[in-house]
Amino acid sequence: MQSNQPFIVRKVAVLGAGVMGAQIAAHLANANVDVLLFELPAKEGDPNGNVIKAIDNLRKLEPSPLAVARTATLIRPANYDQHLDLLRECDVVIEAISERMDWKTDLYRKVAPFLGEHAIFASNTSGLSINSLAQAFPENLRHRFCGVHFFNPPRYMHLVELIACDRTDPSLLDDLEKFLVTTLGKGVIRAKDTPNFIANRVGVFSMLATIHHAQQFGLGFDVVDALTGPLIGRPKSATFRTADVVGLDTFAHVVKTMADTLPDDPWHRFYDSPGWLKKLIEAGALGQKTGRGVYQKVGKDIQVLDGASGNYRAGGGQADEAVVEILKNKNSAERFAQLHASSHPHAQFLWSIFRDTFQYCAVHLAEIADNARDLDLAIRWGFGWSQGPLEIWQAAGWREVAQWIADDIAAGKTMTAAPLPAWVTEPGRSGVHAPDGSYSPPANANVPRSALPVYRRQLFPDRVLGEHVEYGHTIFETGAVRCWHTGDDIAIVSFKSRMHAIGDDVLDGVLEAIDQAERNYAALVIWQTEPPFSVGANLKKTSAGGGQPSKPSAAGALFKQFKRAAESAVLKAARSLNVADQLMAGRLAEVERLVEQFQVTTQALKYSMVPTVAAVDGFAFGGGCEFVMHCDRAVATMESYIGLVEVGVGLLPAGGGCKEFVLRAAQDAKGGDSFAFLRRYFEAVAMAQVGRSAEHAREIGYLRSTDRIVMNRFELLAIAKAEAHLLAQSGYRPPLKPRDIPVLGRSAAATIKAFIANMHAGKFISEHDYLIGSKIADVMCGGDVDAGSLVDEQWLLDLERKHFMELLATEKTQARIEQMLKTGKPLRN
Amino acid sequence: MPKQVQDAYIVAATRTPIGKAPRGMFRNTRPDDMLAYVLKSVLAQCPELDAGAVEDVIVGCAMPEAEQGINVARIGLLLAGLPNSVPGMTLNRFCSSGLQAIAFAADRIRLGDSDVMIAAGTESMSMIPMGGNKPSFSPAIFEKDDNIAIGYGMGITAENVARQWSISREQQDLFAAESHRRALRATDAGEFKDEITPYEIVDRKPDLNTREVAVTRRTAAADEGPRRDTSPERLAKLKPAFFSKGSVTAGNSSQMSDGAAAVVLMSEAAMQRFNLSPLGRFIGYAVAGVPPEIMGIGPVKAIPKVLQQVGLRLDDMEWIELNEAFAAQSLAVIKELGLDPAKVNPLGGAIALGHPLGATGAVRAATLMHGMRRRRNKYGMITMCIGTGMGAAGVFEVL
Repeated sequence: MQSNQPFIVRKVAVLGAGVMGAQIAAHLANANVDVLLFELPAKEGDPNGNVIKAIDNLRKLEPSPLAVARTATLIRPANYDQHLDLLRECDVVIEAISERMDWKTDLYRKVAPFLGEHAIFASNTSGLSINSLAQAFPENLRHRFCGVHFFNPPRYMHLVELIACDRTDPSLLDDLEKFLVTTLGKGVIRAKDTPNFIANRVGVFSMLATIHHAQQFGLGFDVVDALTGPLIGRPKSATFRTADVVGLDTFAHVVKTMADTLPDDPWHRFYDSPGWLKKLIEAGALGQKTGRGVYQKVGKDIQVLDGASGNYRAGGGQADEAVVEILKNKNSAERFAQLHASSHPHAQFLWSIFRDTFQYCAVHLAEIADNARDLDLAIRWGFGWSQGPLEIWQAAGWREVAQWIADDIAAGKTMTAAPLPAWVTEPGRSGVHAPDGSYSPPANANVPRSALPVYRRQLFPDRVLGEHVEYGHTIFETGAVRCWHTGDDIAIVSFKSRMHAIGDDVLDGVLEAIDQAERNYAALVIWQTEPPFSVGANLKKTSAGGGQPSKPSAAGALFKQFKRAAESAVLKAARSLNVADQLMAGRLAEVERLVEQFQVTTQALKYSMVPTVAAVDGFAFGGGCEFVMHCDRAVATMESYIGLVEVGVGLLPAGGGCKEFVLRAAQDAKGGDSFAFLRRYFEAVAMAQVGRSAEHAREIGYLRSTDRIVMNRFELLAIAKAEAHLLAQSGYRPPLKPRDIPVLGRSAAATIKAFIANMHAGKFISEHDYLIGSKIADVMCGGDVDAGSLVDEQWLLDLERKHFMELLATEKTQARIEQMLKTGKPLRN
Repeated sequence: MPKQVQDAYIVAATRTPIGKAPRGMFRNTRPDDMLAYVLKSVLAQCPELDAGAVEDVIVGCAMPEAEQGINVARIGLLLAGLPNSVPGMTLNRFCSSGLQAIAFAADRIRLGDSDVMIAAGTESMSMIPMGGNKPSFSPAIFEKDDNIAIGYGMGITAENVARQWSISREQQDLFAAESHRRALRATDAGEFKDEITPYEIVDRKPDLNTREVAVTRRTAAADEGPRRDTSPERLAKLKPAFFSKGSVTAGNSSQMSDGAAAVVLMSEAAMQRFNLSPLGRFIGYAVAGVPPEIMGIGPVKAIPKVLQQVGLRLDDMEWIELNEAFAAQSLAVIKELGLDPAKVNPLGGAIALGHPLGATGAVRAATLMHGMRRRRNKYGMITMCIGTGMGAAGVFEVL
């Protein structure tokens, strides 16, 4: 590829519409990339039959690979018989067929003549050697060949490993990295062409070590999962449920790749599926996809396999309480010292899997990765660990832990006797990550992050332990917010509260930030240093997280939707309300003052003399959503989940959320009848709808057509600041306050009430639900006025506040809030 | 009967096949076009009738707006090519509109004011949803608890009837399965051939490959609703649609449908003039009100009323077309009045055949007239419940 040509990705082809290929195509479509999805022609009927079926299937997958359902229609189906010509138009071709060298080779021969002159051809593989695959690629095209490794599910997993073959043009790889990072929002790690690359090599070894030590210590699979999940900073699916989700056959396949391709590895004898796993696979129990694996669901009960007997038994095994106490210690060094010292089998088991994984990483780092940061980030992004293995080691005290490992190797306790490499114990080493970079064995030095221009957009990239970060210069700081800048004229306000909840102190801080921005800056951006954007109004510190809301009993589709949305949102809603303390004390007036202040703040965000931009990532619930709705612009990552969820605890949005929807309905109608629009917004509020992506939030109406969606959350602040700049530079004036907002009045409210009256008569909702719905209808229709009456914003805000307070005064709403705070579970009364 | 000056005879009756809504075969077929088609078809069955002699065309339609708005009767008859001199009116009494149209047309003749009338019904539930494009309820409904049932959906009222008359889920599902069984048996035996005029459906779709409009034509000759794959067991698996712990499901309720039907009525003099023989004679019609929250029980009031009016007994009725709005209300009516299940809907009912609201009365008149002739029955009845709490019943005699 000539470096003087700009690399523009107009179109991408994905070859292979299996689970991975189809989902990669879906994610490309999520990112507005024109994508062709190829599959073998169907033997009968429409030659595109196979691929059309695969695209249809995307709509059924959970979690959804599609940002919104209609994205599926944007993927263009194609087959190898009719459409190879179309490949010429594609700038990137991603091959994602089954992991069979012979099949891949055949395909390369078939498609090579049709590739565009500058196209990049990337093979998505989790294990096959990229250089071996390259051998099957025509020699004159080999410089455009490389490997990519997406993780399943590709929309949600941040990691993509990028692997060059010996002949890959380096500039081409840089171009592809830019595309993967900015356009698809992925975290790219350059991996070497070693079996299973970085993340699977280490992650799967960690699972094998877990399996090995679980057997040594005689621990059941459920106990192992209890120990190796969130307690040690890993996903809830822990070890064996992860294997079930991935597919036991897939797991076994990856293990076999290691066995076949790593004959000289000191751990080679452990690259084997245990007997119970082989038996399960033989029996067709492949995990989630077959409904049975290590776990199986019988009725409402989850049963777990008993490794010894091969039968299933009741699950629910717990971690030992004393060990749990150790793990709760926030001091890593103390935690590891206690684990190491404890004689409890659970503690010894955990120490053993950490120890052997540390040893494995140290021994293999030079071979599989350029540096320690790449290894740690690969595991974090690919396996969902909160820290990578080398970070964990470093945090636990590098030298001490290294000594313990060496002692255990000497004592024959480790899986192999492979010694720790010399760099691990060289004098002065206190870890692998430092402010100047992360340790790279080939360079025998700490190396900085990639200098590719694409990363200049990441003002605050995902950091590893020990990496220095400084969030600009402080403008002012309170106990609740920090207002700062990065050396330019954009003020940024970040919340310091837990889950970035909004209390009166945050409201004060935001008002102060607006004031400062108006005086001294060009614009104000609300951005949090990590997600969520905000779970809404203040949380009560004692409110516990917890229980899964029960599944709704079946009913009409609409009602199901109502209940599901309400129940999933209800937990978060409870946390998003600053009413608990005051409520307990019966201080309703205090609450009313808070609601008023909330309204003042959202109005200030809308009408300040400088543009305000909400930079959203993760949850934006309740009051958080209302902030988003009132800023001049929202810039949201695709993985933003936005919604007005107040009804979950028997309240309604009173920070201007209902009011904004009334305005939006009137705008949507463009002078015509706004009822159909208003009704959809009513449903969003009354059913506590939460967008399943930023695009979905736009479909519901929380985001406007002018709001921007970005794919990479580490680029969010740069893009939000750019938006703020642009608004400021283009002669920003706040909107003038409308005094002629048409409302639909009492008849429309009655019509909406008829709709919920039927739900009530059908006992799908309670009397209190009916009351809440009626009040939302009254607010959104402008109260008991004639249709077409003209009101101003304050009229609607007053209605919001009035009905909010009336609901809060009811025993049933109070009971809902109390139960939520006490048990974390919604009350349906 | 003694009050009338002459009899009203039905000389022709036909209908389209009934399509499923909103995604069935007539999803893109306009209700005014369907109406024009049945008007032409029914006149074609009266070859010597001068269309200019038709004195009025009365059309039932339950949601007379949009595609079936602006007096669809007049539009339909003009589209059908009837002379400008022929007037038309649209009437609405929800589900009994089609039967009401026949009753009104007959009354014009019985009163002696007219000699030739057409009564019809048309409805596209694919195009106009239940409740219309813009439902709107009076705030007064919520000011008094007594009025709230005005706002209730039909399903809620069916649940109320099921509870009040102790109609079980099993009974409803059995009834629904039987409706399908009878409808399929009748379809297979060709029993609907006499009454259905096959309809040519024209689809116009953009072909994005050829960049041309792809026009396809297919002829619909049979009702789309009856299902061969249904059974009480399968119906039992459906979830309640209107009441969380209820018994009324999509499977034991009438289907949403599209369709149209038309009937030509005449005085004896007109029959002689145009050389036509009667299919049957219209005898009488009555409507009655019941509480809106149990609207499905309406026929219980309307049937005795019409029987008393025409001087006949229930036992005289050999064929009863009881519109199956819901299995629950059908069974309650059967139970309350002691109707003979064998005589009720011998060819299946709306659960299988569909219920195109305002067209249904006219559709079932075509069924009854042709069916009773084949079976040499004498008296028959069409009856239905009506939204917001009414019942209608009409009595017919085959000659």
